[in-house]
Amino acid sequence: MSDLSAPGFPEEQVRRRARAGAAAAFPPPDAYGTVLFGAGGGAGGRYGAGGRDPLDALRIVPPVFMPQRLARLIDLGREPDYRDVELTTPIGGFVSPLPVYVSALGSTRAAGGDLGLALARQAGALGLPLVIGENVVPVDGYGRLGEAVDRALLGRLRAYAGELPEGRGGIAVQQSTEDADAEVWNLVYSDPAALPLLESGRLAFELKTGQGAKPGLGGMTVLDAASAARLGDRYGLDDVLDGGRVLRSSTPGTFTAEILRQQIRLMRNNFPRARVWVKLHPGRDVAEAARVAAGAGADAVTVDGAEGGTGWAPDAFPAEVGLPLAECLRRLAAAGPPPCLLVSGRMWEGGRAVKSLALGARAVGLGRAALLAAAEDPEAGLTRFAECLALELRMLISALGKYAPAALDRDDVWSPEFSGITAGG
Amino acid sequence: MTTDRLTPPAADGAAPSAPIPDPGRHLTAPATRSALRIQQQLLFSAREFLRGEGFTELLPPVIGPVTDPGSRGSKQVDIDFYGHRYKLMTSAILYKQASLLAFDRIFCVAPNVRLEPLETAGTNRHLAEFHQLDVEVAGASRDDAVALAERLVVHMVDSAVRTMPKDFAELGRDTDAFAELLKGSFGRMRHAEAVAELRDAGHPQSPDAELDWTGEALLSARRDRPFFVTDYPKGSRGFYDLEDPARPGFLKNFDLLAAEGYGELCSGSQRTNDYAEIVTRMRETGENPQKYRWYLDLVREGVPGSAGFGIGVERLTRYVTGLDAVWQASAFPKVAGVVSP
Repeated sequence: MSDLSAPGFPEEQVRRRARAGAAAAFPPPDAYGTVLFGAGGGAGGRYGAGGRDPLDALRIVPPVFMPQRLARLIDLGREPDYRDVELTTPIGGFVSPLPVYVSALGSTRAAGGDLGLALARQAGALGLPLVIGENVVPVDGYGRLGEAVDRALLGRLRAYAGELPEGRGGIAVQQSTEDADAEVWNLVYSDPAALPLLESGRLAFELKTGQGAKPGLGGMTVLDAASAARLGDRYGLDDVLDGGRVLRSSTPGTFTAEILRQQIRLMRNNFPRARVWVKLHPGRDVAEAARVAAGAGADAVTVDGAEGGTGWAPDAFPAEVGLPLAECLRRLAAAGPPPCLLVSGRMWEGGRAVKSLALGARAVGLGRAALLAAAEDPEAGLTRFAECLALELRMLISALGKYAPAALDRDDVWSPEFSGITAGG
Repeated sequence: MTTDRLTPPAADGAAPSAPIPDPGRHLTAPATRSALRIQQQLLFSAREFLRGEGFTELLPPVIGPVTDPGSRGSKQVDIDFYGHRYKLMTSAILYKQASLLAFDRIFCVAPNVRLEPLETAGTNRHLAEFHQLDVEVAGASRDDAVALAERLVVHMVDSAVRTMPKDFAELGRDTDAFAELLKGSFGRMRHAEAVAELRDAGHPQSPDAELDWTGEALLSARRDRPFFVTDYPKGSRGFYDLEDPARPGFLKNFDLLAAEGYGELCSGSQRTNDYAEIVTRMRETGENPQKYRWYLDLVREGVPGSAGFGIGVERLTRYVTGLDAVWQASAFPKVAGVVSP
């Protein structure tokens, strides 16, 4: 230690790197599995000092004159109120009671075990579509030949399907490059436990081209030495962390427009009875990628808005990498959005959801919020959370003189700074 | 977990399948014996024909670190090979190409295992374990392979019809059904034409996908001799089928479909042997090139360009014998989800 100082310079961060080396590119490894990482909505971070997420900066702007309220009044023969908003929404070939789905639960520690099962059960009971994330099978197994069922894919699938009401919900199963080696989709497609979902049109496969928490990189988790030894032949392992912990990276996969197009076609060819979802990271060519995906026949295109996750990311990524979700939505709207656009990224309350829907999304994904709600009460935390979100959605949408999420449009939001959004009303 | 039932469900549009009897009853049934004798004659005559054409028969491997990924919706079987994950072969394709380093013209009768989706239990056309008569020719084009497959099938059927009249009689199969086949000159249509014909007939066939099972059966039922469907779109087949340089997006490949509604008998193509092309196509088919290391290393050093095909032995037997379901053409049938010896 010297007495050298550098006021105004990130001196402590530099000193941390000088002490810890490559490990300092990441949050402290002790936080893995108990802290859900991602962008905050406040000042600083990716939007610069004092900056705000442009989606948060928007305001929801009800008009005075409401022809759609008149139409609902005529329809009902009485004044409509917020309880008359019909939230049921078709999502990627499924039907959801809310314009909401539950985002990927991967092989990460935070989403594993009892919490993952509790979340799957509650999402199933609510009839909310659920995405099961990548790497679950290579890391935790499928659950058919004696692996611990609580972590394995089959356990989550059963927990969800066991509670699912008739005609609602559905499961989308992701497959990463490493999952492709384990043939996760083929496994699920030919499994008797998945047959009821398949036969009722409630099974989708989600092709993942990237993720919001670290656009351009693959999934990352932190492993202890024993787990690392078990997975070493399948994943990239990097000994950059301290304390006997190892960084496990999936490869993000290589995509060009033609590779994406053909992979989607192959999914439709090989799994004709499953829906096809495609997940994009908030890349600068997100509109072009969404166009290719929809053109090749994807039933849903998801944009994961560079906000966070249950896994692990170098600090530089949440702070500095990826388009803000609002900018993704602007580019998608300008290019003509895919027929079913789903977005995720720090969704938890009605306002951010309504703004996303107004800017062209069909539904929003709950990631960290769903996990926290299930962690708060494994029996009914997500159920109560969804009740609250539904009430907020109904109130906000009816305040705009509208009675279905699909009726929202860009005139419903306003910002003085956000280019491309006109003052409406 | 398996489905513990002996009666396969019927797929949409298919006639309900007969239940699979216990092995004793199946093996002693006169129809089974006749079908297996005809199958033997088909294979005997194929060997006769191919050896006469200068082919070398190889014994294909049953296990390996990687196998053919290009099987619609089915799951591969993993095995533990001294701590390494190996696969049972779903097809011999990778080894067929590699074998051309030893011989220019090869064939094999290859066992394949594919854990097909449960819905195939009712198609009458799928087995989880079956055999392919695999043929590969160095330096050949797709059209060479089509011509060879036609001559081979004509020879096999002709031989069976001439030498096995009692067995055809036992099965009640009228061999006049092959009058047109034995003249050769199988029909030929592009995939796009097949799609158009199916759509005209009210069947919603996707233009980007393989012909679905109902579609294949529909086209097949309208024909009096086998016919080739060529030029499948990329995205419907494995990475090894050559993309047509003159028609990007379409592959220099083919299927041979039987007449009378029996559907697909054979798939084949001209192969791509260009390393960068194969790696790119692997990505387009969602595959991880890393696991194909031995194959890619060989390709990088150079394997000959080739064309070839695989004829489903049990499917051809079913067609020739006129049986209701393909499992009847196997001594020990394995149907998706059905527990059997």
